[in-house]
Amino acid sequence: MATVDPISEVSTSSARLGPGLMVLLAAMPPERLKGALDNLTAAFPAEGLLIASPDTLPQDTYPSLRIVSVPASNAWTLTAADFVHAYQLAEKNEARVILMLGPGSLVPSSSELRDLANAVLTGSTDLAVPFYDLPPHAALVNSAILYPLTRALFASRVRFPLAVDLGLSLRMAERLAGAAQHFTSNNQGATPLWPINEAAVAGFAIDQFGFGPHIQSQPTGPDLNTIFPLVTEALFSDIDAKAAFWQRFRPLPPVRNSMPMPQAPFSEAAAEIVSMHQAFKLAYTNLQEIWSLVLPPNSLLGLMRLAATDAAAFRMSDKLWARIVYDFLLAYRLRTINRGHLLGSLIPLYLAWVASHINLAASGTHPEDHIEAVAAAFEADKPYLVSRWRWPDRFNP
Amino acid sequence: MQNFLAIMLQQAPNPTLQPLYAGNTSIWHHMSDALHASIYRVLSLLISILPGILSLMIALAVFTLIGMALSALLRRGLTAARFDDRLIRNRGNVDWAPSTSPTALIARVSFWACVLLGLLIGVSAFDASYATVATLPISFLPYLTHGVSAVLLLIAGTLIARFLARTVLIGAVNAQLQYARFLSLGVKWLVVVLTWAMVLDHLHMGGNVVELAFGILFGGIVLTLALAVGLGSRDLVSRSLESHAERSGEHRPASPHSPTAGPDDTIRHF
Repeated sequence: MATVDPISEVSTSSARLGPGLMVLLAAMPPERLKGALDNLTAAFPAEGLLIASPDTLPQDTYPSLRIVSVPASNAWTLTAADFVHAYQLAEKNEARVILMLGPGSLVPSSSELRDLANAVLTGSTDLAVPFYDLPPHAALVNSAILYPLTRALFASRVRFPLAVDLGLSLRMAERLAGAAQHFTSNNQGATPLWPINEAAVAGFAIDQFGFGPHIQSQPTGPDLNTIFPLVTEALFSDIDAKAAFWQRFRPLPPVRNSMPMPQAPFSEAAAEIVSMHQAFKLAYTNLQEIWSLVLPPNSLLGLMRLAATDAAAFRMSDKLWARIVYDFLLAYRLRTINRGHLLGSLIPLYLAWVASHINLAASGTHPEDHIEAVAAAFEADKPYLVSRWRWPDRFNP
Repeated sequence: MQNFLAIMLQQAPNPTLQPLYAGNTSIWHHMSDALHASIYRVLSLLISILPGILSLMIALAVFTLIGMALSALLRRGLTAARFDDRLIRNRGNVDWAPSTSPTALIARVSFWACVLLGLLIGVSAFDASYATVATLPISFLPYLTHGVSAVLLLIAGTLIARFLARTVLIGAVNAQLQYARFLSLGVKWLVVVLTWAMVLDHLHMGGNVVELAFGILFGGIVLTLALAVGLGSRDLVSRSLESHAERSGEHRPASPHSPTAGPDDTIRHF
């Protein structure tokens, strides 16, 4: 939406609804914490704003805030445990709306915070999600897999399904806490949760709001080879659990709020393209035996042609990528091979998509246009997924 | 041989020369007797263990039928009781594949448990009948159980070898090691060699030769892999150190609201 309400209106609205709002902050460095508190007090000047943070907050500097302590989480994104804590705190403190500010390099501005909270406070939506203005080379897993899959299967236009800043109504928080309970009770509290999917299944209203330039926090410890399987497994598992919902055709809702397109110029990333292209070629030489268990001959043929292409002319078609992801999703469901092996062998294919995406962008295509085209390819190929999900043994050329 | 000599000695005092064919007849006669006796012994042994074989087959067939009936009953009963649905409702997000639903799993386990029970009872009956009639004081059951456990060992070893080989292959490919397949094959053969050595040792075959050959092969493979990894992983280590240094640089505290806190052309996967 990115609509900025007049300050007077927002202040009145916040003053009236402020006591029902709880803000859950992730652990952050002191400078960022100060910035967050400043923005929050500016956005919600009313007395009694409840702040839950794992850090020690200077109560004297912000006398208008009610502060509670929560356990610290070292995760790079919002996890199941975070949602359980959020709902428990909200219920205990009788909050009606929860604003979750996850780990990130930048703090949302006061107007962005107001947008997120007010959308839920006014009751127009249950889940308010930001639309980050990220650099073109950022959030590539989101652009390649998370966004297209969520859009095609759950009919949602939310561009960042794994957003770290969220506005939640109490019933949305309750729903998410219920879903998260399964993971926390199995000692898997660090598993990412998928609020868009939950909201879509529950029939709750979802809306997204434009955020300014942002830098998403990256996983600090483990590398892509560790995090990628964790994230994709969490999403695939959620899709598997909600198969009854997404197998029915649902039209994509019309665009309610036009999001600003990131205007950042795309610079060359030749060295990284060569590296990713080599990684794909190495994988093609070694992992064919595993891929042939998962992918149909047509996709293998496409990969063979791709492996014979030079790095400069490297292009993976959107249709091929959509088919690859769907076939991996099906193999995940059918346990064709060990799931760890399956998702590990998807990494070189993802790197090939990244190389192709960067190549396309360098050739003049706007990255957002390409990402939208990929999402459209996922939507167009959804009948294939539904068909093979229901009849996995059917002939598949 | 003694019989033959005795016959020769008995015939020696006879002064009259006997035709040559008469002695041959006697040899053939005795050989025939020996063969007949041998065949009789083997046949009588087979006849005496036949009830054991029959009891093994009958026990196996009966318990297989019982297993099939029990499996069908369980499958029908659990489906009627909506066991899968209840389990999913109680346990939440349980990711069962369609072919391995809890009902199918329970039915399958009950069937194979019955088959195994029938096999054990049959082998036990066969062993009892064999031990009573066999002239040598050996028992068939211990050797058979050793054989079965050796086969199980071989299957488990092969599966573990394949799993580890794939794990190493995917990990090495994702680490962009050029010798990924070589590493994977090395690990696979390490486990295969270890498995075969264990199987042969379990069957008491080969003795010291197996131990010696295993030691040489295992040591050889480990040395080859160590050399290959040691010589080939310098790039990997340097890349790892570089990426660690880059990550440390990226996570230095950045000033809030600064859009230039990170380089725009760096690829960020999340």
